[in-house]
Amino acid sequence: MPRATRKRSEAGLPVLRMRPIPKGRPTDPGALEEVRALLGDAPRRPDLLIEHLHRIQDAHGHLSARHLVALATEMRLTPAEVYEVATFYHHFDVVDDGETPPPALTVRVCDSIACELAGAGALIEALQDALGDQVRVTRSPCVGRCDQAPVAVVGENPVGTADVASVKAAVDDGSDGVQLPEYESFEAYMARGGYSAVHTCFGSARATEAMFDRIERFIEEADDSGLRGLGGAGFPAARKWQFVRAEPKPHYMVVNADEGEPGTFKDRYCLETHPHQVLEGMLIAACAVEADDVFLYVRDEYPAAREILSREIEVLKAWPELELPRIHLRRGAGAYICGEETGLIESIEGKRGMPRLRPPFPAQNGVFGLPTLVHNVETLYWLPEILRNGASSFAANGNDGHDGKRLFSVSGRVKRPGVYEAPNGITARQLIDTAGGMLDGHTFYAYLPGGASGGILPASKGDLPLDFGGKLAEHGCFVGSGAVVILSDHDRARDAALNVMRFFADESCGKCTPCRVGTAKSIELMRRDSWDRALLGELGTAMADASICGLGQAAPNPVRCVIEYFPEELES
Amino acid sequence: VSTSTEAVRFTLDGQPLEARPGETILQAARRNGVAIPHLCYADGTRTDGNCRACVVEIEGERTLAPSCARRPAQDMKVHSRSDRALHSQKMVLELLLSDMPDTAYRRDSELDFWARRLDVGEPRFAARSQPEPDFSHPAIAVRLDACIQCTRCVRACREVQVNDVIGYAHRGADAKIVFDMDDPMGESTCVACGECVQACPTGALMPAGVAAELTPAQSATPSEWYGPARPAAV
Repeated sequence: MPRATRKRSEAGLPVLRMRPIPKGRPTDPGALEEVRALLGDAPRRPDLLIEHLHRIQDAHGHLSARHLVALATEMRLTPAEVYEVATFYHHFDVVDDGETPPPALTVRVCDSIACELAGAGALIEALQDALGDQVRVTRSPCVGRCDQAPVAVVGENPVGTADVASVKAAVDDGSDGVQLPEYESFEAYMARGGYSAVHTCFGSARATEAMFDRIERFIEEADDSGLRGLGGAGFPAARKWQFVRAEPKPHYMVVNADEGEPGTFKDRYCLETHPHQVLEGMLIAACAVEADDVFLYVRDEYPAAREILSREIEVLKAWPELELPRIHLRRGAGAYICGEETGLIESIEGKRGMPRLRPPFPAQNGVFGLPTLVHNVETLYWLPEILRNGASSFAANGNDGHDGKRLFSVSGRVKRPGVYEAPNGITARQLIDTAGGMLDGHTFYAYLPGGASGGILPASKGDLPLDFGGKLAEHGCFVGSGAVVILSDHDRARDAALNVMRFFADESCGKCTPCRVGTAKSIELMRRDSWDRALLGELGTAMADASICGLGQAAPNPVRCVIEYFPEELES
Repeated sequence: VSTSTEAVRFTLDGQPLEARPGETILQAARRNGVAIPHLCYADGTRTDGNCRACVVEIEGERTLAPSCARRPAQDMKVHSRSDRALHSQKMVLELLLSDMPDTAYRRDSELDFWARRLDVGEPRFAARSQPEPDFSHPAIAVRLDACIQCTRCVRACREVQVNDVIGYAHRGADAKIVFDMDDPMGESTCVACGECVQACPTGALMPAGVAAELTPAQSATPSEWYGPARPAAV
């Protein structure tokens, strides 16, 4: 209602004069009180915007417009700044005035590649019918449990090898909370020599002058281990440290636990089984680059891992012999692109997770513009072993001509999908054997060597060594995060390619044209019975060449592979 | 960000060129009369490098680089008209063109200028589903069917005028320009400064009213720098 003041005219008649009221949505005092109560004494810094949005979403089940305006007021941001961040992340439900909030319980059914092979599509439809209006059933990108496909996450409770009965039982029982798995405790880790690497080699988790020589020696040695960034890019780990060390201090470090590449679940395995091994690796790397602050960014799909880390970091803090850097545990909100290191850095700063242009690289210009080391979880997982047993011993794990080992996430049509520790240079055929062979009634047909991004190869190429570069690269593919998805004669490569292209389109941040528009147009072209191979090829070349980040650059890989290796599937 | 104070010698399409301190490849090229298409870049606003129309090939680099955001290094060899660079420049323009309304909202659309200049023909992709126009504001017409998501209006509103009314919401193909919290522009906190209209390269944001559609806006258009749009002479 416009406010009015009453005046009298000379004739004594009342004059209604409209006073201007502020434009835009007013701040609702009640909503402001609620937001203040939820935020408590937490700092109102803009980089905490996503954390604060979580508090509101957790408390109310959605983000109402009035709460968003109130949060903007409370954090001294504009409504546009809050709205653009809230609508970027899948796990925030923005509800405008007059709109109906979603039901209290959401069941997210993964429809990424491994779960789709296991029948996620039919499960989603059946669940929508079976669960009724009181439960929201949505599709979700990969939730990192491809060994239990299909997966339906009831609230925060992941139901593996899900069917209507098991999901309905979880819904009816109210089993929608976080399930903490058994994991190696601090004491158990210490009993097998845990933290001896960081403790005896460096004497402390904080770098001191006396330690510089030891650190330099260690970095040289680690470089010989062949350890590469296992998030997917495969950049030599120790060389990253040298880049960061060359920059003026202070330095930051980021642990990228935003594992989202479809088919990948090895980082979750590391965090949910041996959290202290990861934490020790984190301290080693933080020490190596003399980082004062460490940001641990855990994807929202891994609430158990986040809870474990939260508990075990407290355990570490209580250990008097260890002087720690400041550790900040941050929670993602449903965005694959935040696994891209510069998208992740933007997200840590409380923004939309849109990748930055490079150069400058994070080693020069990372979190808050400071030199930042970004490591994937599994990279850190191997560091204590390298430090304790020596680099050459780690390098010796590789198959002929390959250095080191890693964790492969094997899923799809195999008998025992799971995480397998294996030498670099192992082949897809060997991994199938390791995983118990093909499912009964299935014949090895094709495989994705590196999740959604690494391309698709036919079984005839199943003996290529899986490692960064090398033969895979010659075939236009890459091993990336080590997610090997096995397809059988029941599947078509073009269906898998369409599945991953849908994923890329859903997960594109929307910043650059080749990716934002290119993924959408690719889907339209791939849905046709007959593919326009020339146009898809032209489009893919531009996406690979001109996109800002790895998402758009890799998105055309599966399409190119289908055209090159599976032409018979495209004959109508 | 480079703070070098010395000129940099590099080659562009085989021609030796000197970039002034701090100049990007795009700026140095333009100063020397070489036209590289660009849409999200505008003088006086922060460079965002998102449209990718200006990508060039730099020898020794794996992917193409946005010339608007890259400063040349000494002896760098840059190709703005190689087959590889032109392919992506034209594909970017074609992708954006495929989602444009049938009739342009301004005669000097920068997208149309560059599409003609690079001889980009009829787009071969199906159009996106288009949003409804927003005529709620008395002075500014919003027709996001002509939006190319270049975010020049966001930067104009947020960083030039510091009004911070315009945001870039949602993601992927759903990413869109919003006013406040996706409010009709006329109900938003917009103060009608007009900076976003000046910034918009395609007419998605225009002065309201029929006269505006007939008169080219007064912003610096590519034709001022590069002459009239015409099919590139081969």
